[in-house]
Amino acid sequence: MIRFILRRLLLLIPVIIGLTMIMFAIARLLPGDPVGLAAGPNATAAERAALATEFGLDRPVWEQYATYVGGLAHGDFGTSLLTRRPVGADLAAYLPATLELVFAAMFIAVALGIPLGLLTALWRNRWPDYVSQVLAIGAISMPRFFLGLLLQLCFAMWLMWLPLGGRLPIIVFPPQPITGFITLDALLTGDWQVFTTALRHLIMPAVALSLSPLATIMRMMRASTIEVMGQDYVMTARALGLPRHKILGRVIARNAVSATLTVIGLYFGWLLGGTVLVETVFDWPGLGLYATKAILSQDMMPVIGVALVIGLIFVLANLVIDLAYGLINPKVRYA
Amino acid sequence: MTSAFNLSRRTLLALAGAGLASAVLPVKSFAQSGRMLVIASNQDIPNFDPHTSSGYSAAFLMRNVYDPLVRVAENPPAPVPALAESWEMGADGASYVFKLNPAAVFHSGAPVTAEDVVYSFTRAMTLAKGNSWMLRGIVDPAKVMATDAGTVTFTLEKPFAAFLAVLPWFPIVEKAVVEANLGSDQGQTWLMTNTAASGPFTVARFQVGTMYYLARSKTAWQAAGGNLDGIIWQIVRETASQRLMLQRGEAHVAVDLTSEDMDALEGAAGVTRVIEPEYRTFSIKMNTAHGPLADINLRKAIAYATNYQAILDAAGYADLMVGPLPNGIMGHDPNLDVPRMDLDKAKEFLAKSATPEGGFTLKMVHVSGLEQQRRWALIMLDSLKALNITLEIQPMNWPDMVAACASPETFPDLFPVYQTANYGDPDNIAYAAYHSSRNGGWQNAVYKNPEVDALIEEARSEIDPAKRAALYEAFQKAVVADSPDIFGVLERRKLGMRDAVSGYAFCPVASNAVECWPLSLA
Amino acid sequence: MTDVPVSAPRNEGLARMLYRFRQSRLSMIGAVMVALVLLFAVFGPVLAPYPEHVAGGVDTAARFQPPSPAHPFGTNELGQDVLSLTMAGTTVSVLAGFGVVLIGAVIGTVVGAVAGYVGGWTDEVLMRFTDLTLTIPGLILAMAIAAALGPGFQNMVLAISLSWWPGYARLVRGEVLAAREEVYVTAARATGAGPGRILFRHVLPNCVSPIIVKMSLDMGFAILTVAGLGFIGIGVRPPTPEWGTLLSNARSYMPDYWWTAMAPGAAMFVAVFGFNLLGDGLRDILDPKGRR
Repeated sequence: MIRFILRRLLLLIPVIIGLTMIMFAIARLLPGDPVGLAAGPNATAAERAALATEFGLDRPVWEQYATYVGGLAHGDFGTSLLTRRPVGADLAAYLPATLELVFAAMFIAVALGIPLGLLTALWRNRWPDYVSQVLAIGAISMPRFFLGLLLQLCFAMWLMWLPLGGRLPIIVFPPQPITGFITLDALLTGDWQVFTTALRHLIMPAVALSLSPLATIMRMMRASTIEVMGQDYVMTARALGLPRHKILGRVIARNAVSATLTVIGLYFGWLLGGTVLVETVFDWPGLGLYATKAILSQDMMPVIGVALVIGLIFVLANLVIDLAYGLINPKVRYA
Repeated sequence: MTSAFNLSRRTLLALAGAGLASAVLPVKSFAQSGRMLVIASNQDIPNFDPHTSSGYSAAFLMRNVYDPLVRVAENPPAPVPALAESWEMGADGASYVFKLNPAAVFHSGAPVTAEDVVYSFTRAMTLAKGNSWMLRGIVDPAKVMATDAGTVTFTLEKPFAAFLAVLPWFPIVEKAVVEANLGSDQGQTWLMTNTAASGPFTVARFQVGTMYYLARSKTAWQAAGGNLDGIIWQIVRETASQRLMLQRGEAHVAVDLTSEDMDALEGAAGVTRVIEPEYRTFSIKMNTAHGPLADINLRKAIAYATNYQAILDAAGYADLMVGPLPNGIMGHDPNLDVPRMDLDKAKEFLAKSATPEGGFTLKMVHVSGLEQQRRWALIMLDSLKALNITLEIQPMNWPDMVAACASPETFPDLFPVYQTANYGDPDNIAYAAYHSSRNGGWQNAVYKNPEVDALIEEARSEIDPAKRAALYEAFQKAVVADSPDIFGVLERRKLGMRDAVSGYAFCPVASNAVECWPLSLA
Repeated sequence: MTDVPVSAPRNEGLARMLYRFRQSRLSMIGAVMVALVLLFAVFGPVLAPYPEHVAGGVDTAARFQPPSPAHPFGTNELGQDVLSLTMAGTTVSVLAGFGVVLIGAVIGTVVGAVAGYVGGWTDEVLMRFTDLTLTIPGLILAMAIAAALGPGFQNMVLAISLSWWPGYARLVRGEVLAAREEVYVTAARATGAGPGRILFRHVLPNCVSPIIVKMSLDMGFAILTVAGLGFIGIGVRPPTPEWGTLLSNARSYMPDYWWTAMAPGAAMFVAVFGFNLLGDGLRDILDPKGRR
């Protein structure tokens, strides 16, 4: 199993190279004038040239690429043209916010999606099943940013129950960073007040983000439960006279969950890149907001950095899911 | 929901609403460090170096953390003492002597000396970034002299009437501190996140893209300060969020509010609205050098077809411009005869042009994402329909728009621009927006009239105010006769403030970069 | 005759398919919704109660009117009828969504077919590239390309398409690999048909059903992505009305002028919902093994 993990980790290297190449091609070969934007409207031609030289933008693309990859080997993600801050430090600051949001959304999706899927499978072809099927498709169809706006309108603007956006009010000191997740850090440091405040900020964006994975997981769970229920071993268990709740818990749920896991893994990676709009609506200081700002000013180093980090996490998440698959379902062997 | 939860939530809100001054929040908060003024802004502070950064958030930092020789205050704006307690202008208008305030000290405790002033101007002009363009060709760093430790003499390249008005944008850094952290780039890297300043506040803590916390400096030497212990510059991207924070008392000042936000704040409890004219013009430049609008009759036809009322309606709290200069600035002629919507006149001029029936397409660009510019572009599209002219609207990134200004061939037919008077002097806008030496730049890409050039040059070197005013009057008439622009609106400055804030006096120069020293919190 | 009937393995009879489709009530509802959306896509600008507003006309005297019989969804910041703009916005959203799915499907099919049919190194290289593109978050990739190209309908469609094809490439490659081994393909090869002919006459036609199913399922998401770009501010040029842009404009007027957001948001939801219901139904009929 160690060899399996090592081999998969080794595969990350070509992924990094490929990803940077694609993003670099987009950054350098498309039209646009990032230097002009960064230099500002009153810059002279000489200042622009100086800026281009400073960032190596006047050198051939392949040379720029080589410099970038060389820097990556030392953990250097380049420098933002606009803010002149190291991208690596920015990524480290914004990644935990996005991860916290995605984990919260996945938590909601899994915690509700799996039992709901199981239930609807048991109620197959009765009216709760139909209703939930329609609701699921509706949930997938709901634009996340529109849902976000509606939530804001109701709970933050009209009812004023929840804050409009952000991670914490500015007057509150964030807890000592341990995991980078404010909610978790607050719990670990025992700061109950900060925890509830952070949680109240997290609820709406997490709900807006969770709807579509929730629906997908539920449908997936329903389908695999139905499939599992028709399998021989379930019949056998039933014939052996195992109590219904044991069959459900041990046999059906376990097998169905392991099939659903793949979807969860895929969704996790997908959500990381899909937070952009939700982060925009809720002013959530994560990777999506960071990338959006950079994209709008054609500051490509941060964009390459974000794509790289998300791509890597995507690959890692799949690896973790493959491992989890084996834990739940010991029949799987790692080749 | 339990009632306990309810209570704590309400208490939190109420405490926040009461202002953070006396509140002891149940959470660890800035409130415990004293009276904190929270300013909600949508602009991150790009970098702390006062000689390379620009934009209003950088101006906020400069105004509160650094000191210039003179500041600008009051309405209409006038220079007031800062590091310089007094100054004298030579009879030729090209030499200035500044006496430094002996009480002035840097955050390090060292006194501010003439050496530091000379060093700062040398640094600003040789780096040639940020605001240095304001003094380009005017100040030669070699001719800034330290006469003694407390006296600085400037010998300008030529007389410059607006000299005192631009000085607020040239903060003084502490030479010894910068030299100690010089690196290979004149300390740019170090000053990006550190300061070497003498201002009333210091940067105590910051989180990029989120908030900047400035604490009252222990060495604050400035007179007439308020009771603030600190300021928080909080980045709130959406204006609607800024307004809600203000209403809830989570922010004391909101600086990016729209007209719609101001309407919504009318009568809101605990909120004061500041709606004041400021020298920020919006106009639409026409391509006077290339394409159909090189024809003055067509330009006039468009100027008379424009629905000015709609432009004003869409802008909300604004005033229509009367001619090229901002209303109320020195030399502005409020009785200037400028085009107003008059379709008959428009058609008259159209008939005199090469295309009396219209039937062609013009191109207008605007900054993508700038809501007001989008609205105005749509209004122009609607207005031009009356002349049977179609308008193609293209949102562009600002740098691409700037690039299009390089030549008359690439310059679009209609080009909207905001011009902010960085200093409260008519020369700022007259020179930047109508002098032909600026051709190829975004402020005046194509317009060129030797008569107008001569008037601008004469006015900027004229020191006698009455004669200057007469020159600007002639200038405005000449520009209106040429009709190079559709004169749009002056958007009023729209700030929201909690009524707990006192000591505020509006000054129409970059008022969104709030000067906090005089402010107090109840 | 050397040709074997192309759709032989899955031919179920059109009548039977239609029957099954009609049996599924949800798919029927979806079909009706899609028909409605398509109707607006074609005639929206004409049916709109205030066609002059669709063309960019403004009426600043009537700014921010709340919903009323004259303006069921109120008016916006320029006094334009929100309902009219939303109705007309259908055209852009549906066309762009369709464009994205079509271009994505074409690129994906070519890549997948070549990879699956040629095999070997070509397959390896193409599929690694496909997997790589899949790991880049689609919206961020599309945003980056669209921002660099500048706003405009074609740029937007192109940008999204370039992040849309990998799914099709994987799908088609799988189908091609399976079809290569089918009896009728082997038979065609035995009769001396060239690789191009085999690919286009025998292999690809069998992939049509799953591609169509995927396209119909993707339509909704493509519309959402188009709206997402508009929402970020990298969409079409004014005065063309577009749902995402309308919603993003409306956002700054919350909560006082909340009605400016309702029509475009609801329109998006209805269109995507319709396409998803329809796609779900189509999958059950055309591609039963794809059902989960």
